[in-house]
Amino acid sequence: MNNLYLQVDRFSMGFMVHPEPQHAPNPKSAVLALRESASNEELLIAVGNQQSRIAFNTLFNRFSNRIFAMGMKLTRNEQLAKDLVQEALLMVWQKAPLYDLDRGNAQSWIFALTRNRCFDLLRKIKRQPACVSADDIWPNDGYYGDTVESVDSGFMSVELEQVRAYYAQLPTAQLAVIEQIYVHDRTHEEAAAELNIPLGTLKSRLRLGMGKLRTLVEAE
Amino acid sequence: MIAVSNKVNLHPPQEQLQKFVAGELSIGLSVTVSAHIEYCAACQQASAKLEQALSADWDAAATAIAESEFNSILDHIAAQPQSVAAATVDAVPRAIVVNNKSVSLPRVLAKIAAAGLAWQHLRGGISQALVKLDDHTRCAFIYMKPGSKTPAHTHSGNEVTIVLDGSFCDELGEYQAADFVMRDPSHRHQPRTVEGCLCFSVLDSPLLFTAGLQRLLNPLNRLLFLHR
Repeated sequence: MNNLYLQVDRFSMGFMVHPEPQHAPNPKSAVLALRESASNEELLIAVGNQQSRIAFNTLFNRFSNRIFAMGMKLTRNEQLAKDLVQEALLMVWQKAPLYDLDRGNAQSWIFALTRNRCFDLLRKIKRQPACVSADDIWPNDGYYGDTVESVDSGFMSVELEQVRAYYAQLPTAQLAVIEQIYVHDRTHEEAAAELNIPLGTLKSRLRLGMGKLRTLVEAE
Repeated sequence: MIAVSNKVNLHPPQEQLQKFVAGELSIGLSVTVSAHIEYCAACQQASAKLEQALSADWDAAATAIAESEFNSILDHIAAQPQSVAAATVDAVPRAIVVNNKSVSLPRVLAKIAAAGLAWQHLRGGISQALVKLDDHTRCAFIYMKPGSKTPAHTHSGNEVTIVLDGSFCDELGEYQAADFVMRDPSHRHQPRTVEGCLCFSVLDSPLLFTAGLQRLLNPLNRLLFLHR
């Protein structure tokens, strides 16, 4: 056991490259979405993590008429309001992987996204100058995403036993995430689905956990 | 003026902030409110609360989308790829140089300035760079040299000014960076500055000058406003 070494990336503490297996259909998401009681947050996370069409369908049912109402209010034009339904929900589909609970509830996330889409739609129709877009005016509505940490190529070797001792000092939630990624070799998306947490939460737990590990290793 | 501050004196009224969050303001006013919020901690919190409240009250329309349209929209959307990375917000230089001084702008105004500002030098040390943002408002960066003042004027509509650097004062008070100064047709004022001042100003109708020769320019002013 003592001569078993893991190569540990000094900065990300990433245990080297892990292959990204193909997405396997996840029956859990279907069950979740079929439940009419599923929260908007659960549905949005299922859309983001597993591309669940069923979950998206439910969200579509819940929001298309609200989006249409906002479109009518802001544009006073039925065709534009219909265009907005399509464009805003397309945005929901496309940007769902960027949603996490830190961004507030799903309804206000979709609200802000719809308002922004409507602003840009109107601007385009009226041929107003392109220099200001909705994202410039309302910058806090889910477009920031996670900041990517730079990864250095410096390595250090850490004995496995020692790593286990470090692991024991991590909070359970962070440990669970690290286990999914580095032991079971899952992608971030798969791990989030497995633990049933938003992708953003997974990433922040991973970052916190790896940060803690790094501190422990460096303290040696 | 860079950091978010707790000490801004003048804010947009709650009603205007609510319209901003709802997307109901003109582009010109939206830009100005956004610039204020970037530097005002209180309005950041207030607008976040309003966004929560408005989205919680978000009602559906009585008219529903037809079932047939519904399915075709759904199919179209699900065929699109999802984003894996967050959209990157264009990085624009934040600083502009006015009267040999570098001034850092709020993000949205930096974006506008990056498209190019054409400064016109008016009388009395006042310069303006007009910016066309929509069909309802007249927007401009306004720079007042140290010790300068504008002609006394009233407005036939509302004027909102956000102070970006330096300070100015008028008959009603003194205004510092990030202050959101609102004037309506009942105000006749003559802004002046000691240290110099850079502002962004939005007018929903032309200025009416009330003093001296400027008075003669009023009809012309209106003409210029309408036929920019």
